[in-house]
Amino acid sequence: MLSGDLLSNRKLPESFSEACEKKLENGEQAMFSLVGDLNLKSKYGESAIVVTNKRLFAFDQYHQDGIKIIPIADIKEAKVKRMYGNAILRLKTGQGSVDAFRFTYSVASLADAAAAFLEAVAEGKNAEKEVEAVAATYDKMKSFCPKCGRSLSRQGAQCINCASKGTLVKKLAAYMAPEKKKLIFCLMLSVITTTMALAPPVAQRILIDDVLKGENDENRRIMLVGVVISLMLIYIVQYSIGAWRGHLMRVIGDKTVTRLRNDIFAKAQYLPMSFYDKTSTGSVITRVSGDTNTLQAFMLRVSQEAVVQFFLMIGIIVIMLVMNPILTLWSLIPIPLVVWGARFFGHKISPIYRRIWRRWSAVSSILSDTLPGIRVIKSFTSEERAIEKFENYNEDWLKEDMHASVIANVFPHVITFVVTCGSLLIWFVGGNQVIDGMDNPETAKLTAGTLISFISYASMFYGPVNFFASMNDTYQNAMTSAERILDIIDAEPEPNFGKGNVIHRIEGRIEFKNVNFSFDKTKKTLSNINLVIEPGDIVGIVGTTGSGKSTLVNLLMRFYDNYEGDILVDGRNIKEIDLQSFRSKIGYVQQEPMMFRDTIFKNIAYSNPDSAVEEVIHAADIANAHGFIAKLPDAYDTMLGERGVGLSGGERQRLSIARAVLKNPSMLIFDEATAAVDSETEQLIQEAIDRLISGRTTLMIAHRLSTLRKANKIIVVDKGEILEFGTQEELLALRGKYYKLIEIQGLAEKIQKSREEENFA
Amino acid sequence: MERIYIQDDNARITKAGDNLLNVELYDGRKFENVEARRLFPITGLDKYITLLDDEGVEMAVIRDVQGLMPESKKSVLDALEEYYLIPKILEIYEAKEEYGLLKMNVRTDRGKYKFDVKNRNMDIKILYDGRVLIKDTSDNRYEIPDFYKLDGKSMKRFNSFL
Repeated sequence: MLSGDLLSNRKLPESFSEACEKKLENGEQAMFSLVGDLNLKSKYGESAIVVTNKRLFAFDQYHQDGIKIIPIADIKEAKVKRMYGNAILRLKTGQGSVDAFRFTYSVASLADAAAAFLEAVAEGKNAEKEVEAVAATYDKMKSFCPKCGRSLSRQGAQCINCASKGTLVKKLAAYMAPEKKKLIFCLMLSVITTTMALAPPVAQRILIDDVLKGENDENRRIMLVGVVISLMLIYIVQYSIGAWRGHLMRVIGDKTVTRLRNDIFAKAQYLPMSFYDKTSTGSVITRVSGDTNTLQAFMLRVSQEAVVQFFLMIGIIVIMLVMNPILTLWSLIPIPLVVWGARFFGHKISPIYRRIWRRWSAVSSILSDTLPGIRVIKSFTSEERAIEKFENYNEDWLKEDMHASVIANVFPHVITFVVTCGSLLIWFVGGNQVIDGMDNPETAKLTAGTLISFISYASMFYGPVNFFASMNDTYQNAMTSAERILDIIDAEPEPNFGKGNVIHRIEGRIEFKNVNFSFDKTKKTLSNINLVIEPGDIVGIVGTTGSGKSTLVNLLMRFYDNYEGDILVDGRNIKEIDLQSFRSKIGYVQQEPMMFRDTIFKNIAYSNPDSAVEEVIHAADIANAHGFIAKLPDAYDTMLGERGVGLSGGERQRLSIARAVLKNPSMLIFDEATAAVDSETEQLIQEAIDRLISGRTTLMIAHRLSTLRKANKIIVVDKGEILEFGTQEELLALRGKYYKLIEIQGLAEKIQKSREEENFA
Repeated sequence: MERIYIQDDNARITKAGDNLLNVELYDGRKFENVEARRLFPITGLDKYITLLDDEGVEMAVIRDVQGLMPESKKSVLDALEEYYLIPKILEIYEAKEEYGLLKMNVRTDRGKYKFDVKNRNMDIKILYDGRVLIKDTSDNRYEIPDFYKLDGKSMKRFNSFL
């Protein structure tokens, strides 16, 4: 059998392991295995590949004798062919094409790594070295916890089950640690209030047995006053402390959650772009808002409520046992039923509420689809269809809600009935004991007062019991939130290899040396990029959508660092320069500029908050923005809505250029800055850009080639490769892709211009 | 350019290697090594099958596989069967929530399988005809052909998550 330490996504079936072991040749060493879940005929079943330094062993019942052995040296191409819900590792050898291994997407990324390994070793690269990349992928993509075997929430995630036992709790406890003293103090207050909560039933007993049934009239009245005053004092202290404790707990909770939110937000600022490529911003927002609240509630519940409820439960049971052990046992009878009933109700009602929520979101989605799109509905005269659809969805919601109403109202009453039956049982058993005691005072086991007091304790007992019964669900919810939060807190921030290597000025010489880049390792986004841009060059980057233009500047901005090759600025590798210092020297103007919910002044001064008023006005002047700003009623004090609501696209763009002017960058990048505006606005923006770029190395991504008039060099990118690079004249003389684009756009722009002229005529 | 529609007997379709197809139209035009893909993988199944060349350019569209000549029909259905894996869930042994994941243990037409669903609201879709479409954490797809025809226990186990 192969070694148990063999790199594998899960345990290799013994039969495969033994078969492989028998066939290994001298000097042949198994490097890794990949266990799949489908056979070649797309049925679920055992299949696997074992890759050695020389051969590939593919195990599948549909291979002849259940095994296919392919020498790696014969492999000309190894590809993972992704289909719908399944994929195949297809190998091209001298004898033709072989489908070696079929699998679901669960292991597709690992199969990619295996294919890359096979191709690299087939090309003669060192197997020992190549397997390191496979191991790294396995580690990153593991979908099962190696410790406990549970499946992970996503590939490469931390196992909540294992982490929760130590790390998770420890990490979260760190956020509460500064409040330790207050927490202990709150706990002490809780003990006081809990003890006081246990007192009223005792007073009840005294009232009934000693005051109401007492013999001496005067003493009874004095005692009555005494008991009432005592109870009054107890209630005053209990509720005062309760309010104080509640306030303290809220402060502790708020401080903890503030700390947690600050940390997540701060961490989110430094996360690499690759994190945001995989995680939606909406999900990050939920983690900062919703998940932190869930966690805060849980932490307080565990650190405070659990302790209080535990003491309360113990206190009640001890008192009850002391009062009457037999009756205590009787009163415990309904407990399992109540616990089971509460849990059953919880499990029964929560899916119904989930369904109601789903039905309701369907209704809401129609509202949010149709009302803003009312023009479309009217223009297609589809009002009746919209009404019918809304009525259907609303009907679904109604059915579900009526269903919930039955359960939501019947179950709590059933449980209350069971609890009441429990009380009746105590009344019956205890009542008999009281009557026996009345008939025969010497052998009295129970007085009427004790019985009343006992019943009060018994009903109090259900509180902590239910608290602990629902603890597991709360725990699971909290751990899921914790995992989502730690996903951000523990994520690797943007690497800043050159921290401290601050640069003061960039001349602007940019060099890409053998740069290759892929977002997900399945498809190369940039291949073999080599180019040199001289200081002061104005370089236009053109190409079709998805050709890799933006990725090129994203690498230069260091949004992604995991590329092969080197990018040099002024002869220095950009990875060796302090990240913040490097980015501060680059002005970046996007197609859809981001404005913040603030005044126009602050939005322009965003790049340099200490700018003087006149500097900001001057920047707005250069950006052709001052004119329209001055005409606004609140001018520079105009408050912009979220994402710059209140301004047109062209106006927002000019503000973003003003922002770049104020930054005074050494290099400039324009990512389709004029793509979303009309020709007239484009001219205004173009003027602004022309003023800004003078003397600075500039990269301009452009769809409209007319915006590249000033460019002295053009890069044509196609399918991730540089197709053409040179001056406008050189490329036109080449009559290649750039020439074709000029021809197409020349015609298109003529048409657009004539249309615009017609419209303005 | 006008789209070429294939229907009934106006083309002969045969298998080529690597799950590809060769197409010969009645007018003599030929497309070799094309790949069959459903234009409506959820709602259409055997209707409107596009045939793509190795660059992903559409060569022709089959209107309805069921109307093709028997040999052609078999070739196309085999190719689709090979490409699309949407196991049909026949029985649900277990459906439970653990740490925010819905863990499913099921019997499908491809055998028994266990998978996890991350986002119940997004990854489980219920169609009006009773079909339920499920996507797991690895992006694999599953289908319950008619939820209301599942056995009582399976329905009960899954119902709370719908």
